[in-house]
Amino acid sequence: MAGNPDHLFSLRNNFYLGSYQVAINNSDIPHLSADDAVERDCLVYRSYIALGSYQLVISEIDSSAATPLQAVKLLALYLSNPQDKESTVSSLKELLADPAIGNNAILRLIAGTVFMHEEDYNEALKHTNAGGTMELHALNVQIFIKIHRSDYAERQLRVMQQIDEDHTLTQLANAWLNLAVGGSKIQEAYLIFQDFSEKYPMTGLILNGKAVCWFVCKWIQDAKDPETLANLVVCSLHLGKSSSRYLSQLKLTHPEHILVKRASSAEDSFERALQSVA
Amino acid sequence: MMKHYTRPSVGRCIRSEVRFCGGLTVGEERKKMLTKFETKSNRVKGLSFHSKRPWILASLHSGVIQLWDYRMGTLIDRFDEHDGPVRGVHFHMSQPLFVSGGDDYKIKVWNYKLHRCLFTLLGHLDYIRTVQFHHEHPWIVSASDDQTIRIWNWQSRTCISVLTGHNHYVMCASFHPKEDLVVSASLDQTVRVWDISSLKKKTASPVDDILRLSQMNSDLFGGVDAIVKYVLEGHDRGVNWAAFHPTLPLIVSGADDRQVKLWRMNDTKAWEVDTLRGHMNNVSCVMFHSKQDIIISNSEDKSIRIWDGTKRTGLQTFRREHDRFWILAVHPEMNVLAAGHDSGMIVFKLERERPAFAVSGDSLFYAKDRFLKYYDFSTQRESQALTIRRPGSTTLNQSPRTLSYSPTENAVLICSDVDGGSYELYVIPKDSIGRGDSSQEAKKGLGSSAIFVARNRFAVLDKGNNQVLIKNLKNEVVKKSGLPVPTDAIFYAGTGNLLCRSEDRVVIFDLQQRLVLGDLQTPFVRYVVWSNDMESVALLSKHTIVIANKKLVLQCTLHETIRVKSGAWDDNGVFIYTTLNHIKYCLPNGDSGIIRTLDVPIYMTKVSGNTIFCLDRDGKTKTIVIDATEYIFKLSLLWKRYDHVMSMIRNSQLCGEAMIAYLQQKGFPEVALHFVKDEKTRFKLALESGNIQIAVASAKEIDDKDHWYRLGVEALRQGNAGIVEYAYQRTKNFERLSFLYLINGNLEKLSKMLKIAEVKNDVMGQFHNALYLGDIQERVKILENAGHLPLAYITASVHGLKDVAERLASELGDDVPPLPEGKEPSLLMPPAPVTCGGDWPLLRVMKGIFDGGLDSIGRGAVDEEEEDAGGDWGEDLDVVDVDGLQNGDVTEILEYGEVAEENEEEEGGWDLEDLELPPEVDTPKASGGARSSIFVAPTPGMPVSQIWIQKSSLAAEHAAAGNFDTAMRLLSRQLGIRNFAPLKSMFLDLHTGSHSYLRAFSSAPVVSLAIERGWNESASPNVRCPPALVFNFSQLDEKLKAGYKATTAGKLTEALRLFLGILHTIPLIVVESRREVDEVKELIIISKEYVLGLQMEIKRREIKDDMVRQQELAAYFTHCNLQTPHLRLALQTAMIVCSRAKNWATASNFARRLLETNPTNENQAKMARQVLQAAERNMTDAAQLNYDFRNPFVTCGATYVPIYSGQKGVSCPYCTARFVPSQEGQLCTVCDLAVVGADASGLLCSPSQIR
Repeated sequence: MAGNPDHLFSLRNNFYLGSYQVAINNSDIPHLSADDAVERDCLVYRSYIALGSYQLVISEIDSSAATPLQAVKLLALYLSNPQDKESTVSSLKELLADPAIGNNAILRLIAGTVFMHEEDYNEALKHTNAGGTMELHALNVQIFIKIHRSDYAERQLRVMQQIDEDHTLTQLANAWLNLAVGGSKIQEAYLIFQDFSEKYPMTGLILNGKAVCWFVCKWIQDAKDPETLANLVVCSLHLGKSSSRYLSQLKLTHPEHILVKRASSAEDSFERALQSVA
Repeated sequence: MMKHYTRPSVGRCIRSEVRFCGGLTVGEERKKMLTKFETKSNRVKGLSFHSKRPWILASLHSGVIQLWDYRMGTLIDRFDEHDGPVRGVHFHMSQPLFVSGGDDYKIKVWNYKLHRCLFTLLGHLDYIRTVQFHHEHPWIVSASDDQTIRIWNWQSRTCISVLTGHNHYVMCASFHPKEDLVVSASLDQTVRVWDISSLKKKTASPVDDILRLSQMNSDLFGGVDAIVKYVLEGHDRGVNWAAFHPTLPLIVSGADDRQVKLWRMNDTKAWEVDTLRGHMNNVSCVMFHSKQDIIISNSEDKSIRIWDGTKRTGLQTFRREHDRFWILAVHPEMNVLAAGHDSGMIVFKLERERPAFAVSGDSLFYAKDRFLKYYDFSTQRESQALTIRRPGSTTLNQSPRTLSYSPTENAVLICSDVDGGSYELYVIPKDSIGRGDSSQEAKKGLGSSAIFVARNRFAVLDKGNNQVLIKNLKNEVVKKSGLPVPTDAIFYAGTGNLLCRSEDRVVIFDLQQRLVLGDLQTPFVRYVVWSNDMESVALLSKHTIVIANKKLVLQCTLHETIRVKSGAWDDNGVFIYTTLNHIKYCLPNGDSGIIRTLDVPIYMTKVSGNTIFCLDRDGKTKTIVIDATEYIFKLSLLWKRYDHVMSMIRNSQLCGEAMIAYLQQKGFPEVALHFVKDEKTRFKLALESGNIQIAVASAKEIDDKDHWYRLGVEALRQGNAGIVEYAYQRTKNFERLSFLYLINGNLEKLSKMLKIAEVKNDVMGQFHNALYLGDIQERVKILENAGHLPLAYITASVHGLKDVAERLASELGDDVPPLPEGKEPSLLMPPAPVTCGGDWPLLRVMKGIFDGGLDSIGRGAVDEEEEDAGGDWGEDLDVVDVDGLQNGDVTEILEYGEVAEENEEEEGGWDLEDLELPPEVDTPKASGGARSSIFVAPTPGMPVSQIWIQKSSLAAEHAAAGNFDTAMRLLSRQLGIRNFAPLKSMFLDLHTGSHSYLRAFSSAPVVSLAIERGWNESASPNVRCPPALVFNFSQLDEKLKAGYKATTAGKLTEALRLFLGILHTIPLIVVESRREVDEVKELIIISKEYVLGLQMEIKRREIKDDMVRQQELAAYFTHCNLQTPHLRLALQTAMIVCSRAKNWATASNFARRLLETNPTNENQAKMARQVLQAAERNMTDAAQLNYDFRNPFVTCGATYVPIYSGQKGVSCPYCTARFVPSQEGQLCTVCDLAVVGADASGLLCSPSQIR
């Protein structure tokens, strides 16, 4: 195990922990092998995607780029253009159908992500369940949590733990699962985020994770990014304070956020219920 | 005088003068000796510790006696008067004396304070082997090769007893520490114990000694004062040493037969107990340890051996390569030993005294004896946390060396030297702290250092392979990682990092990235102390402190001449540390200083403000309060926090030469000024800081030439012409003054200077001034008066003063000098200065902080907000002045809506799917690589919100789960609620507040997580609790208080809104206990009463023209169940309204009721009494009201008419408001939610109601 330093370690770590700008800024790493360079590029472009810079990714990746990069480009296309998801999904399916490249880990990862957005979890799992990389396993954990199957998520996590228990993704996935199953596990999730915050610079993702933990245990704190904003709405409600500021801010900046969607569908459902009860 | 015979013992090769310089080698148990101090010298034959001071005497074969401070490592004194080897030396217990005995047959008594020998005791006829003071009596015992032991009185300076019996050299003799016994060892192969009690009786006073002197001499060799008590035979060769046990009746002896023997005695006999074998050559010396149950012996076989006193087995052996050992000394009180050998001596310890400890936040964990102890810094309380394994006495120095603690897991790693370096891992049970009786089997492992690197991971150093093993709390290896440098110890360096120590450097290594984060050359680091924020680290070496940041970038290095012991960071980033005898500080810039001295070494654990927490050598926690002023002051200076500096100068006793010197050296002379009273120093500092005002003031005080001169120089530098002039004037320095006026263009004063010079008859001064002024006439005059006629002539003629020139020429006659030719003479006039006179313009500097007087007295005026209770009420009452009367029977006919008819679908919302329990989780045995080719995606599980509603019949929980329709049905059924519009926002908030959002994988959709109620640490995972609700009872309590307050303040609409808000929230409240359910129900009633009352009062205020209705509503209001202050207000209103309308009888009733409440407001009471008085005169009502106060009633919530008891009425199923029968089926006008008279099962707001 001891030996060569892992050149991409901090880049990956920054990406996983949501320090996208830091990841991008520190991506100029010398002496990378060809494979490492592709991985590096994927991480950088995915960071841009996470920051919402879809067009940059779409324009910079040309048709000659490697398969993983093509997949990343598809993700950017998918997220950038909510109106024309179908064509992106169909090109994705085309790539997946190609036996030569269909098994590429990044491609499968992107497929999983896209189908999650499509809320087609079966299709997502079809491509991701086989795992193969820590990222795929982590995504699996998330999908299983999403479909309320923490038992499956736990199995995935065990696989990850057997591969590398201290891997950042293993730790993260562990925290997600702990939060999903709740109870005493929330403390463990909190400790994981706490470890991250001690070891690495604080990121929105870590803060949000801590905040969520506090929440579910009814400890309250404040912070700022879409999820945090959403959680602030929830938080204010629980504290008996006005939540409207955060809610309108969230509606303004992230109209697609699940909380906004949930809130508006709840309103409809209230009206419908009124009708049904009247 | 030297003897040249060899003693008849076997294998002895004594008195070899060959000097070896042998290093200390590691014994067979591979233990390093804990050497504290070492000297190189001639052979050391005698040693003695001072009982209080860190001193040791060493007597050498060369004849010299050395006095060492073994703590500081310095030679204090040397005493060189003996001729030939000095074998015995001993400190007096309390006096500044020591005694020595040598091969010159002399016993010398010395005073070390006077640095000289006081006297010499003569009597022995051969080498003296040992000398010893008695602990009480003024006696000295000596042993000699003349086969005698002598006891001397050092006050009378006489021999008081000669103990004869040995028939060979007596190698050693010593007093018993308590009893009247002496033990001696001789080459005659015996050990003897002597009874000297008779001696004690005889020498009650020194006078006796003198009287007995003649008798003594005649009695030589036949003394009866001391008799042999026991003769211990057993050694096969000459015995070199024998010593008593400090407390027990035991004797230990060592002999040329290479054996150590242990003897026991009682009142009548003494016998051999055991023999300790192991030495390979003559045993030179042997002793009991003063504190521990061990025996220490040394030998000519070049070893020191430590024996277990009870088991009598060898514990440890320390060897030297070339040096034979001759003598031992045990400190009477401390855990320190000394041994003399062929080329010097060593002072050493057997066991480390530094307790192993770990600090985490407010907690200190430390090992003491068999226990792991816990100390809370905030409460200063200590308790036992655990029983840890007793290292046992099989080997020494195996107690815990380091301790590492993981606060979150409450786990402790204890490292010791057991088995050549090993660790033990304990998890402290939460409830065991304070009880301390819990003992558990530790998880153990080999490794010379082990520390936590993360909450649940620790690193163990595997020195052989230069790698660390990362283990989890189950003691399983999780990972192995090679180390970048050859490492002999690891220290904590933040989560996931290690600080690796090698011989001459330390590195910080990131275990995950396998990267070296920092690297620093240092002396051998012993201890590592991180600052609280983990930004700085102090690396403590034996004599060096290196401060670096977290990347190991050097900040500063401090060198200490005395051993550095411990340290801790204070909250301001000052490193506080201890040496053997000082507490000191180190500022971030490397400045250091002494805080205080220490009598005994301490091990600092934490600094908090002025308090230093530490452990002492006995493992006891202590606190020391220090004066932090000095370093805080310096730190403030360093950070340029001048406001702090100023206030510290004002408020504390900071002064002294050292501080002034520091300030000057650091470039803060202006600060130093504030400390100084001495004018000369003040003057100096003022000049340095350029503070001319203070300098002038000081100069005036001092008033000497030199200071004025220096002031002038500084003032000139600053361009302060006024001060320069003043300074020159004070010193009467006319030349400089003139020059000053010249360059300032002050011609007026310059001419004055000319006059002064004239008055003073200073020709040269006159001439200069004239030159400066460009005044030719004057110049010529001066030259002429001075007798320089030729010069005067030339000057006059050159500058065209023809008259004068001619006059002078005639006076000169033939001596008229020739005028220089070929030169153009011109008159030099003083140049016109750019600025005439005055000072140079100066920038304002350094004013304000140190001169301005920084009195930052916070003048926080507390604004007291007075509650204007009832203000609005009172005003309102005065305004009421309208006469119009109208019967208030406005009954709104509300549409009679159909009462709910959906009884049949009661269970409609409960048509639930079967709960699908997650299948048993089984551990996947196969690794991640085994992928099945056919994958069937699992069916989605049940969302938590669905689980919630399965279990619940509480409307709020259904709303939180987003099942609004079932929630509404529940409310309808339980409370008869039909109007849900007011509940909309509550429903939505409940729903929104039931989930939080976790961002997980990048770019993937967020995960929403259900928030549950009643979470606690021990809740089992996967068991869902009911949803957390955003509304709770305490919020309502707040609202109620606010409602009361608004009512008091007369803000009626606000109050109404609040009480209605309560009524609208209660249907969606969930409480835990039955008692709380009752409270909720009570709250409904209270709110209902207020809503009704407030609605009536608001209505009353709206109608201005109907006096009768006004009176009625006011009257009904007084029958709502209100808080007393509000009732008083209602009564007062009703009283006033009725009085105005001349309904005196009714008004007097209100007045009486008001008085019955014992109003605290005197105006209220007064008004009520006035009304009563007025009513007495005319006990009638002007108008008839629908109000009979004698007959109990409730008011209809819609029509506001009384429903007297006995009359029919209907109720709101929710808020219980009463209505006239005609209101049945209408929406309740009080709560605005339920339908009047509807069927309802009742409020369900707690799971406790269902259980």
